[in-house]
Amino acid sequence: MSTPAEVDIALGILDHQLVDADGINCGKVDDLEVAGLDTDSPEIVEILVGGNAWRSRGLLGRIAGRLAGNAVHVPWSEVDSVSSVVKLKRPASELRLDEGDRRWSALVGKVPGA
Amino acid sequence: MSLKNVLAVALGILSAIGGFVDIGDLVFNTQAGATFGFQLLWVVVIGVVGIIVYSEMCGRVAAVAKRPVFDLVRERTGFGAGLATLVASQVVNLMTCAAEIGGVAICLQLLSGLPYRVLIPLAVAGLAVASWVLPFEWIERVFGYLGLCLLVFAVAAIKLHPDWGKVAHGFVPGSHSGGSLLVYLYFVVGLLGAAMTPYEVYFYSSGAVEDGWGPKELNLNKVTATIGYGLGGFLSFSLMIVAAVLFLPQGIDPQFLGTPALTAEHAFGKVGLLLALVGILFAVGGAAIETCFSGAYNTAQFFGWRWGKRERPAAASRFTLAWLVIFALAFLVVITGYDPVKLTEYSVIFSVVALPLTYLPILLIANDHTYMGSKTNGKLANVFGVVYFVVIIAIAIAAIPLMLVTHGGQG
Repeated sequence: MSTPAEVDIALGILDHQLVDADGINCGKVDDLEVAGLDTDSPEIVEILVGGNAWRSRGLLGRIAGRLAGNAVHVPWSEVDSVSSVVKLKRPASELRLDEGDRRWSALVGKVPGA
Repeated sequence: MSLKNVLAVALGILSAIGGFVDIGDLVFNTQAGATFGFQLLWVVVIGVVGIIVYSEMCGRVAAVAKRPVFDLVRERTGFGAGLATLVASQVVNLMTCAAEIGGVAICLQLLSGLPYRVLIPLAVAGLAVASWVLPFEWIERVFGYLGLCLLVFAVAAIKLHPDWGKVAHGFVPGSHSGGSLLVYLYFVVGLLGAAMTPYEVYFYSSGAVEDGWGPKELNLNKVTATIGYGLGGFLSFSLMIVAAVLFLPQGIDPQFLGTPALTAEHAFGKVGLLLALVGILFAVGGAAIETCFSGAYNTAQFFGWRWGKRERPAAASRFTLAWLVIFALAFLVVITGYDPVKLTEYSVIFSVVALPLTYLPILLIANDHTYMGSKTNGKLANVFGVVYFVVIIAIAIAAIPLMLVTHGGQG
């Protein structure tokens, strides 16, 4: 892998906002699974979102990752486009990226007007 | 520009003026005036220009790239440093929010005569209900416009006939008298911190994204940031001037939040006192909501959650819970009875330490063509941006040592 490509992934994809097909925020690119690093054409296989995806992100990430559950894996083929956000082809619910808000919505929904 | 647009801009400016002052400005400006007279007015100018420069920048990033500040912090500093910034900013936000709530309760106490401890839960409940029920722009307007009652301090400053030659002299940095150099420097740091509090840029940029700003709003951004905050700065001058005229000769140390209101009473009697208290009530009340929401915005933006007042609360459930929890935690801090003025001093000084990691990502992204296209920083924005960043680093390093050696400005 050439150096500029590494910079691009780190600066242009990692830690960027994930947006689903309906334009709704659905997590961050917390980590990336890259295959073929020892070949001439490495490629990103999947995006890891939340939970133990933070394990590889420094000391604080290790602590946070230990406290959180499993990461959600999103195949790179689900990515529609990459700009200042990473846009996905399908709604968050079909990629299991809506679980966080769903978990608490029943509780918040008890308040009148929610 | 149509009449409707002019009106919208004018209303935006008015709410920016009314929303400029918070408990940090009230505390530091009056204490600085009571201790050093007019000699620190120049610091307010530097602080106000600083918040203008960085608000304009993050408003522009919000309008062009649609990214709020904490998205940028995460993208440019990564997970670890971003999380550390998040934790630090949350601690500061919570302290500030608690101090503002304490301020609301003190104003309610002075207006109603009811006990402070009884009014704290009422204040929190009132702010939480207002946040739940009112749409975003109404929160800004109600608190911003009623905060304009603070203009009574500007009129009082004129009516008290300060020595205008000395006032003008205060706008020139120079030697000081009437206190030790370290205390003077402590107030320099505090006044800059109070004017450039990080939550203002968190809230400003998140608000711009929520309002769906686009390239069309770039002028609105420029005008709101420069004129709104610029005129808001006059309220800070006024607070310092009235304190310098009335408190310094008497040796009064305004350690109570209600003390500045007495200057308006001195100038205009009961009506002045009432206007001052209502102005302070809504200025700090609005700031309580802003700090609370800044905390929720930051968390949601760091983790990539759905966020915003426009979202259905149950749909953006984690964001909604975040701001409800912050109000609850702030309540627990205030109900301990810890003095809101002391809490303010700590929160302003600690916020200075969190400033560099908030402002650096803004400066970097505002220069990044991949985000900003042709709307990157011009020369002027970059010269100011870099100079202010150096200033911020310097005060971030000096803040806590100065607070410790001067015992919070007591000498």
